[in-house]
Amino acid sequence: MGEVIVITSGKGGVGKTTTTANIGAGLAKLGKKVVVIDADIGLRNLDVVLGLENRIVYDIVDVVNETCRMKQALIKDKRFDGLFLLPAAQTKDKDSVTPEQMVSLTDSLKETHDFVLVDCPAGIERGFKNAIAGADRAIVVTTPEISAVRDADRIIGLLEAAELNDPTLIVNRIRIDMVKRGDMMNIEDMTDILAIDLMGVVPDDEHVVISTNRGEPAVNNGETMSGQAFMNISKRIAGEEIPFLDLDVQDRFMDRLKKLFNFSK
Amino acid sequence: MASNRSLGGYRVGLNNLIEFKGTKKGIIIQMDENVAFAAVVDALNEKKDTSKNFFKGAKVIGTEGRSLLPKEESILAEIFSKEFGMLVTSMRPYVPPKREEVKPKPVENKMFDGLEEGITKFVRGTLRSGRSIEFEGNVVVLGDINPGAQVIAEGNIAVFGSLRGVAHAGAGGNESAWVVAQRLQPTQLRIGSLITRSPDDGDGPTGPEIAYVKDRNIMIEPYL
Repeated sequence: MGEVIVITSGKGGVGKTTTTANIGAGLAKLGKKVVVIDADIGLRNLDVVLGLENRIVYDIVDVVNETCRMKQALIKDKRFDGLFLLPAAQTKDKDSVTPEQMVSLTDSLKETHDFVLVDCPAGIERGFKNAIAGADRAIVVTTPEISAVRDADRIIGLLEAAELNDPTLIVNRIRIDMVKRGDMMNIEDMTDILAIDLMGVVPDDEHVVISTNRGEPAVNNGETMSGQAFMNISKRIAGEEIPFLDLDVQDRFMDRLKKLFNFSK
Repeated sequence: MASNRSLGGYRVGLNNLIEFKGTKKGIIIQMDENVAFAAVVDALNEKKDTSKNFFKGAKVIGTEGRSLLPKEESILAEIFSKEFGMLVTSMRPYVPPKREEVKPKPVENKMFDGLEEGITKFVRGTLRSGRSIEFEGNVVVLGDINPGAQVIAEGNIAVFGSLRGVAHAGAGGNESAWVVAQRLQPTQLRIGSLITRSPDDGDGPTGPEIAYVKDRNIMIEPYL
């Protein structure tokens, strides 16, 4: 029996879809059977980020309305053995699916996959309620910004009210240089308010933009910091204990030179 | 003649004996009570040739000014429907709908004064953004109040943690209420009808603090 994990945030644009795609690919690389579900009906993105949009014939609304069988809607990713995508519909909206339908969908996928990752849309209304309906646990994604943390706090409250207790946290797009200058929230500030366990920290990395535009998950490139961070998160979800990356390593050459000559503050 | 109480509609008088009073709900037939019924019928018949198409399709919702026998009601009803093409829903005396009287609320609102000894609500755990606690007494929170969460108490508020959201003590008007927290950093603090917020500068509190009202200002002091 697999596990259904919803990846949510409240705030839009913090990296839920990117995280879902990368954790999905990462877990597949570790040999797991994974299906990623795009629950953002009407504004689908998971297919684009995975580079699979040209292969969509059926989507989640078709499955729920029994226009097609689940197998017909699932898209097998040829680059990652064991990774499947259930895309959202683009021409419908979030009222096309009910929470009850989501539960039966995820229940049936749980039986044939190790991990079912649900990419939750932004907000707290029907899209959110659909996405969390069948979940066994939740991962909350946030960026180190007050507005994102405020929304994450609200979402955690709603998750706890829905009895999805002990969600874990991923801090995305952190910039260690700004944190050191005091211009950006640090991890302790965030866990102080959010009071949940940290699952991973992903640095802000140009490579994510580049790889998204290519439709290739960043996790494929183990040389980049973001790729490593996402792979570590995948390993932690799979049960391994991995220490957090030392993000200081990404000092630029000039900073290192400055440090050498004691010019930096 | 029937009283000229206006019901906010137009009045089309046929002659003095019978008048059609128009209202939003339909036509009320006003009749003189001092003449014989036959005279009313004659007056109606006189005018039916000149006015009958004017009222076609209109609704008769009642009568006024003259009490009618059942036989008289049916005679008139027949003229209205057959000759005037009107829809007769009622020939009974028209009773305007009673306007609901707005009863004044009983003045019961006593200000909560249990600030020394009073009913208290205990909340365990952190209040996350979006949660709201309202209570007609004192509130004690064993946890943090995160930004976006609020506590509205008619009495005092004590926080065993960081107050980062909104706290409103003395919400019923009692300005003797206080707010205490281990870290007092609210987005907004209200006592009674006074409002204040944390200063923009400064590093934040270094220890437990209490907020209370003095000379109509909210004062904040270290507490322990």
